[in-house]
This record gives sequence, structure tokens and C-alpha cells, in this order.
Amino acid sequence: MRNTMRVLLATLASALVLTGPVAATPAKEAPWLPEAAAYRLTLFLGGLEPLPWDDIETAWSEPYRGSEYSTGAVEWLDRESDIEPDGLLNATMREDRQAVFAEATRLIALRIEEELDRVLAADDPAAAQLAVQTARELYRAFQDGIAAADPEAARRIGLAWLELNSSTGSAGVLGAGATSADRETMQAARAFISGYLAENYLLDSFAPRRTLSALPETAVLSGKAIEVPPSLPPGSDIFDQDPLPLLVLNFEEQGIDETDLPLVAYGDMLFDSAQIFGSPARDLRITCSTCHNRSDINQRLFIPGASHQPGAIDVDGAFFNPIFNDRRDDPIDIPSLRGLRFTGPYGRDGRFASLRDFTRNVIVGEFGGEEPTPFMLDALVAYMLEFDFLPNSMLTTDGRLTDAAPEAARRGEEIFNRPFAGLGDRSCAGCHVPDANFLDRQAHDIGSVAPGYEGARAGALDTPTLLGTAYTAPYFHDGSLPTLAAVVDWFDETKSLGLTGAERADLTAYLETVGAADEPFEAFDAENTAFRLAFAELTTFASTLDTLLPRRDAEHILLLTDTVAADLSADASTMSNLAARPEVYALAERLAEVGAAVRADDWAAAQAGWTAFKSEAAAIEERAF
Amino acid sequence: MPVHLTRRTMLVLAGAGAVSLAAPLAAQGDALRLAFIPQENPEKLLGDIEAITGWLASEIGVPVEGFVTIDHAAAVEALRNGDADISFMGALPFVLAEAEIGAVPLLSEVYRDAPSYTGRIFVRRDSGIDALADLQGRDIAFADPISESGYLYPLAEFVEAGLIEGPGAAEAFFGRVFFAGGYQQAMQAMAEGLVDAAGASQYADLLLTPQQQAEVTWIAESAPIPSHLVIARPGLDADLQDRFVDAMLRLNEPEHRNKLRYLYGPDGYVRADSAAYDGVRDMARRYRLLE
Repeated sequence: MRNTMRVLLATLASALVLTGPVAATPAKEAPWLPEAAAYRLTLFLGGLEPLPWDDIETAWSEPYRGSEYSTGAVEWLDRESDIEPDGLLNATMREDRQAVFAEATRLIALRIEEELDRVLAADDPAAAQLAVQTARELYRAFQDGIAAADPEAARRIGLAWLELNSSTGSAGVLGAGATSADRETMQAARAFISGYLAENYLLDSFAPRRTLSALPETAVLSGKAIEVPPSLPPGSDIFDQDPLPLLVLNFEEQGIDETDLPLVAYGDMLFDSAQIFGSPARDLRITCSTCHNRSDINQRLFIPGASHQPGAIDVDGAFFNPIFNDRRDDPIDIPSLRGLRFTGPYGRDGRFASLRDFTRNVIVGEFGGEEPTPFMLDALVAYMLEFDFLPNSMLTTDGRLTDAAPEAARRGEEIFNRPFAGLGDRSCAGCHVPDANFLDRQAHDIGSVAPGYEGARAGALDTPTLLGTAYTAPYFHDGSLPTLAAVVDWFDETKSLGLTGAERADLTAYLETVGAADEPFEAFDAENTAFRLAFAELTTFASTLDTLLPRRDAEHILLLTDTVAADLSADASTMSNLAARPEVYALAERLAEVGAAVRADDWAAAQAGWTAFKSEAAAIEERAF
Repeated sequence: MPVHLTRRTMLVLAGAGAVSLAAPLAAQGDALRLAFIPQENPEKLLGDIEAITGWLASEIGVPVEGFVTIDHAAAVEALRNGDADISFMGALPFVLAEAEIGAVPLLSEVYRDAPSYTGRIFVRRDSGIDALADLQGRDIAFADPISESGYLYPLAEFVEAGLIEGPGAAEAFFGRVFFAGGYQQAMQAMAEGLVDAAGASQYADLLLTPQQQAEVTWIAESAPIPSHLVIARPGLDADLQDRFVDAMLRLNEPEHRNKLRYLYGPDGYVRADSAAYDGVRDMARRYRLLE
């Protein structure tokens, strides 16, 4: 019917934008009801150290990021419910974590009860079903905790929801086909759900929680160690961008096939593998490319409590690797990795001279992964050193404008090279050196970093390149400036450059010209589909088995098969040719079988599986997707 | 289907902009009134209606008003009494509205190049269930008893296979039959192992996570189900009706395609072929929904 069709199509549409070549391909979440979203955000934020109390307050007062509802939970409750959130708001004001958890948990349980009351009180099936649906959407706030602690209870509650909805009867269509409710079944199903809530969530007091989760109280009291699978809260966005940045690899532009570069191909695979990180990043299928999408950036990326705005993240906060938590709320704008071999030292402040050291720090420090093997680091570095800048026909290789550049940019070029007293008699070009890829590989304190303490000498940042920057807004280490024009204004004001309005516009035009590219984005069409790109990449990754199998390198083979088989299977959901999905699932299973054979030390079977994979992949490749 | 529209939200939304949930103005010859069936989030629908009616008005040259009805029955009632000229509607309610008030089919929605879709019986790949007959005594979840692809058409496959005598005899074949409340709920119940099978739209597996999608398959597919339509009340001015249809067909053009998202998100529209709905008329009679 209309309602379900609409939801289905919305989901179809979102399924279609999950175009991430070999990326995590997470399913887009169904929208959360405001109070359920606020509860999940509370659980997530409540687990961070230091606890961001302002964010928790906002979680209840404002709609979550990307919400389809224009109101926050408190206003929504005022409109839709008789339940008062006063206790919760009071506990938030007192910054009492346990009380906030208890009040919020009770509130959600009470809301489910309220909707269940409405189910029973409804005088027509449509109203009853609406209340069932709302109650189930609220129950979703507890669901992962129950599933982790007590699968049998989760199953029985799942059946109770089915029984409840089925027994509400049907309003029919235009009066035809109406059926009446089965009150007895309704009451029994409701009683089962309410009984579980009463025992686990609708309690006067809760045992102290070390970490906040939706685990049922009886499970917590049992003392058993129960892991709830990590999840991101409502408002998170780790999807790929649309349009997708174009990846420019040096070898590829020279016509060299990646399958002939096994070390690079393996590094490419690792760049897209969540397996190299620890939990929670690994469980959430976060990879290098989640942030550094196609060697560039992910302007959408947002995780509540870790991002202060889209495209920024605090990788040394409480969420990813608690032992690496620097207890400073200092998210940075994700930097592009284009031209990486020319942009060292690495890190916004140039803290790592070596790309290899930087990469190890990302894996082990920031994302809590196991110590990578030398081979893994070699491969990742080999791959990342292939990242080239985007070709730009308005710029010569030594940084001068070509005839294709607009006139305003030409005027701006003169300003860019003009020394200013406010810059210590240097020009913009003094640091952003045109014939050195618009950087000088030095750190300068330009006053863009607020000092962490009085007298701090800690504000120097590595000069960033200007190449490709037309597509990497916002700017500065913290993403505080939204446009290149804002960057020009910032320098003009803080360095007293004394530029006229026209000069600022010309300088901006120059930056936009230097930062431009002939083809910044991947061009998809009926032929070059997102899935085709993903399929080509994944089969390229797998090609490293030609090198690894003869070496009987079990460790690195398993890392590959675990990553690629799962991604291949997940990416099948993005195929436009839905009928061909089973073949891709079968291919993914074939690769998983190679992994299973290696685990069983059956190298003949592994080789046979790999040979079969290659011929099946070639057969799929020959047909249109 | 249940709709996410409560009395409280209705009161708030009634004051919103050019669109309303309140009764529309009495019929006037120089304006077009469109009835929309509510979806998950009425706030979004109102914004969508405002966007599309504004565009339609500029294309057709008469004021276009959109309003949200409580359900299909209310939309048909609005068409009957002239409060609405046009309504968006599912195939089954359309054939009933046609019989009841002489509603006229104008346009059919297109998805993935076809003005039709199918219903399927989905199972988990590891369930060992390969054929409809394997579901004897097993549990199944459908979307809703009046859903074409989420009940009527998939169930007809069991009748076709000689496993069920006819509508109403399903309980004798299956273990338990549930109406989960929607495609997604039915599919989740199957994927999570609460039931053995789900009857839902051919695209419903896309509502599962990519991991779940790899774990499910389908064992039967229904005859094509004609897609949702745009219908008119009988007696609508022929010229106005033509101009409306022409404007809607311009949504297929590349420069206007982005507006389709304001209209339940089809890939486009084609002129409705009334004969294409014969199968639905027949289905409605088999389920005794239509005389």
C-alpha cells in the first residue's frame, strides 16, 4: 500500500546512493522516533570521557542531525505523550550520569507502555496498528541490548509484536475486506511485552552502569560479561559522498595494471579494510577510505560526540580507542591525501616525518588495531604513494596559470605573489610555493589555533597544499572557514593586508583556479556503475592471491579473504541489475571458501577455489552488470 | 496501512503554508485540487506537496492546491464529493474506487522501467526451503491483508500451485500466518528467524541490511502487479485533465526528474492503461473485495 511503498522507495533510493566502491556499504538506517533517537544518543554520549553534557542536553532538545522530524524529543513528547521528562531534564542539569540513564530508560519504557495502552484502547484497526508501529519503533531503542543478553527473550518479544499487530484486525480497503480484532490475542501479546519491560526497564532503580547500553537489568544483575555490538547513534553519517571524488593513481594514469602491482593492490585492499582496526571501528566497518574517500576527503562524515561538524572528527577521543583518548575536544577537518608523497611531514602539525610511522599510529593508536606487520605497512605506504593530485589544465606543473585560467585569477596571481608587511614582508606564495605544489613542508603559527593554555607555543601547523582545494571545503585545521573567499577575508583581516573588495575577489578567483580540477568527480553512467567500479576494485584486491598463495602467507591471505568476501557480498546490494545478485553472492562465497581452506591448511583446495573464483569473476565481468 | 498521523500532529500541521489537512475549499472550475495519501512523516509530505503543487501550478496555469487525506477511503470520498479532482492511489483501492464512484485512471508510476512490479515469497537461504510446498505447516509473515504485493498476489501463488484452496483457506496450509504491518517488518521477521517465509514486494529485500540481503532468497514470484496510479474524479474538465497529465509527463524529462522525489519517488510516469488493471480487478473479486 501507499505507505509501505513510499518507505520502500525511499529506502530503494537510499540503497542506490550507497555507491561506495568497496567501502563499508552500511545500510542506511530507518529514521528514529525523536525520543528513541535521544535515548540512543544519550547512551552513546554517556559513554564518552569527558562526558559532553551539552550534547546530551541537545540530544533531547533538538532534532538529531538529519532527522525527518523538525522537533526535538522534549517538544515531541509534549505533543504526543502525557509523560513528563522533568526527571530526566533535572538529572541532566545535575550532570548525574546514572540518574540520566535511569530516567531516560524509564521514559522510553513508559512511552512503549503508553502506546501499548493506545493499541488496546483504539476503536479501529488503523489506529491500533499505528500505535503498534510507534511502540515497536520505541522498542527499537532497547532491541540490541535484549538481543545481546537474551536471544530467546528477543525472539519471543519479536513474535509478540507480530501477534499483536496481526490481531488488531484490518480496516480493509474502502470498507471492503474489513476484519475485526482478536482482543484475547492482543491482550496476551501485550502482557508478554509489558512483563519484560517491567522486569528490565521500568524500574525504580538500576544497578550502576560502567558503560551505558540498552542491556536489560536482569542481564546486568546476573554479572555475566555481555558485549553489545557497537553501533553509531542516530545522526551519524559515514556514507560516501555524492558525487564521489575521482581517484587519480599514478601507475593507472601510466597504463600500468594494478593486478601487476601486488604490493600496491594489497595496500589498496588494506585501505578499504576495517579488519586492520580494532573495535568499535572494525565492527562499524570503518576503514581508511571512510574518511579519506578515494584518497580525498569525506565531507559528509559525522559522528555525534566525535565530530563538531560534517567532514571533521576527533580521532583521539573516547570513542575509537579509549587508551589513546587525549581528553581534549579537538576534532580536525579531514585532510585530503592527494599528492601524499609531496605533502610530508604528516599530521596537521607535521608531527610525523615518516608516512609509515603516521600510518602505524592511525592503525594502532587512533583506531585500536593490532600491530600491523611490516608487509602491511609496506603495502599501505606503497599504495598511498601512488595518490596523485587532480589534473588541472589551468595550471602548469610548476604552478603558473595557463591561458585557460580566467582573467580575475590572473590578477589574483599578482596579489598572491605580492609581499605584505602583515605577512612579515612575505607573500602568500612564500609558504604556498607554486613550483613546490603550493606548500613549503614547514609548520607556521599563523594564529589560527586557539592556545590551549597561557603562553602556549603550540599553534604551528603544516602548510597545506592549495591543489584540489576547490572540492575540500571547509578550510583550516578545524574547518572553521566555509569557503576560499572566507580564507582570503580571514588573512586580509587578521594580517591587515589592506585588500580592496576587488582584490579579495581576484585573490579568491586565483585560489579557486589553483584548487580546481578538470575532472574532480567520478563520472557514473549506465556503463560505469558504482557497482562495476566496486567489483573491479574487489577483484583486483583478490588478484594478490596470485602472489600470496604460492608463498603460503596465511595471515595476509585471511585478512584479504575476510575483507573482500564480505565487501563483495555487501556491495551486491548496490547493483542496478538486481537479478544478477545471486551470482555475486556465490562469487563472494567462493572467496570465503579460499579463506576456509587456508584456515584448514588445505592449500590444494585454496588454490582450486582461487582458480574457480577467477573464471567465475571473468564470466560475470563479461556480462553487463 | 497504518499512517503516522495522529490527531495532535494533524492540528499542528493544519496551519502549515499553502497545504493543509483540513477540508479543502469547495470545488472551483479554475483550480485543481490534489489529494495525497499520508506517508511515514506527515511533516515531510507537507513540504513535498508545497514544492510539487507550486511547480504544477506554473506548468498548468491554474492554482493547484494539495491536501493530505487520512487514508484511501477519505481520498475517494473527496473525489466523490468534488473536494478533490485528482488523487494518488494504490492499484487495489483504485479498482474499488472505479467501481464505487467511476474514478478515472490517468497515470501509472514507473519503477525500474516498468509500470508494474511483483510480489515474492522470500526465505532464508540456509532454511532448506526450496519450494512453496516446503512451507506446509511453517510460519509466514505477510505485510498486510489488503496489500497487493505483500499478501494478495503472493498468496495467489500458493493457490495457483494447488496448495491452498483459495483466499481464506491459508490457515489450513501454513503453521501461523502473521500480518507484520509492512514489507520491512515482514522481511525482518523472516531474516531474524521469527518466521520461515515472508510475502512482500519484489524489492522488499532491499529493506534489509546488505549482510541480511546476502542471507535471503526468494522461491516464488507473482504475476506483474500494476503500479500505483494518479486518478481523477469522473467529470473533471477534460482540458484541465489533459494539461495536468501533460505536466506530469514532463516530470520524465531530465530537467524535471528531480521533482519526482516530491511524489512518492517513482522513476517516472506513463499514461495509465486501464486494461492493465484487469488482473487487480480479478484479484479483488477473488478476495471478495469487489462484487
